[in-house]
Amino acid sequence: MNLILLYLLLLKATVTSFSGLTSMPVVRNDLVEKYHVLTDRQLNAAVAAGRSAPGPNGLYIVSVGYFVAGVPGACMGCLAVITPAFLIIPMLRYLGARAERPALKSAIQGVTLAAAGLIITATVPLARDALTGPLAIAIAVGSFLFLVLTRKDTLWVILGSAAAGLTGKLLG
Amino acid sequence: MRIGNLTFGGGDPTMAALQTELVVRRGWLSQEQYGLVYGLARITPGTNLLAFTAAAGWIIAHWVGAVLGVLAMALPSAVMVVLLTGGYQAWNSNERAMAAIGGTLAAAIGMMATGAWQLLVPHIRRGDRFRAAVIFLGSLVLSLRFSMPPIQVLALGAIVGVFWRGPAEK
Repeated sequence: MNLILLYLLLLKATVTSFSGLTSMPVVRNDLVEKYHVLTDRQLNAAVAAGRSAPGPNGLYIVSVGYFVAGVPGACMGCLAVITPAFLIIPMLRYLGARAERPALKSAIQGVTLAAAGLIITATVPLARDALTGPLAIAIAVGSFLFLVLTRKDTLWVILGSAAAGLTGKLLG
Repeated sequence: MRIGNLTFGGGDPTMAALQTELVVRRGWLSQEQYGLVYGLARITPGTNLLAFTAAAGWIIAHWVGAVLGVLAMALPSAVMVVLLTGGYQAWNSNERAMAAIGGTLAAAIGMMATGAWQLLVPHIRRGDRFRAAVIFLGSLVLSLRFSMPPIQVLALGAIVGVFWRGPAEK
């Protein structure tokens, strides 16, 4: 895939999202369904890799870029994550206090709520691929409950789930 | 300035930690500037934390500050993500490693569900349940049942948001 096209597609995903994983449905729609340069399993692995590293969650896009086009792809992913951040500078200069306008805040809430629905939709095919048995389902449910009920770091979920997967393999 | 930003890049930085560092300890930003930057970062598309660093860097040292701040925040983690992804590909043939990776892939499904949940929680807490449920379920049904492209669903969400305000925005 052309690197510039990859950058633009990833940018489209990051520029229309307002936090971490909300860009995932757009990425899946373009790269998995339209262009077929990424599999659901790779997207799933990208989310896991993005969450395993410290720093902003949106960085799973870097991993997506790497799966599509190696290190140059990863650089495009990194650029796509970074680019929208600079939009804040004109906003800082010209919007200032007007940023608190209710209509704008409410529109962003609408986008964010819609993104929550989209995340679930995009997770369904990934779940079909990753949840291969009772152990995998238990790990998914367990990690959801752990993250919702405690404020512990995601790293523990990654380590715990890897240990659980390995134990399951050695026992069964 | 540069050193400060570079040190944040390595850890697991949060905007609260940055507040302590930038406002309280170093006095590079006033409390009001921090509030403005924090609020704007939340409404800037993309990763909030990166937008926050760009704006804080801009106030401190204009373009140099913004670019250095964002790079210092993103690059170390980006490199780690690439290494982890490379590791995933390298271990793809090892059965035991794949079992462990399979576990993390299952956990990632739980993380994605958590991601959706965390977007809903603030609305549930504020008593904005009905509006949140309508937009959330509407988006779920439109995308899952009717295969509406994500961009259109997001645009629809924005339009509904403009005309239907939550309790805090009235």
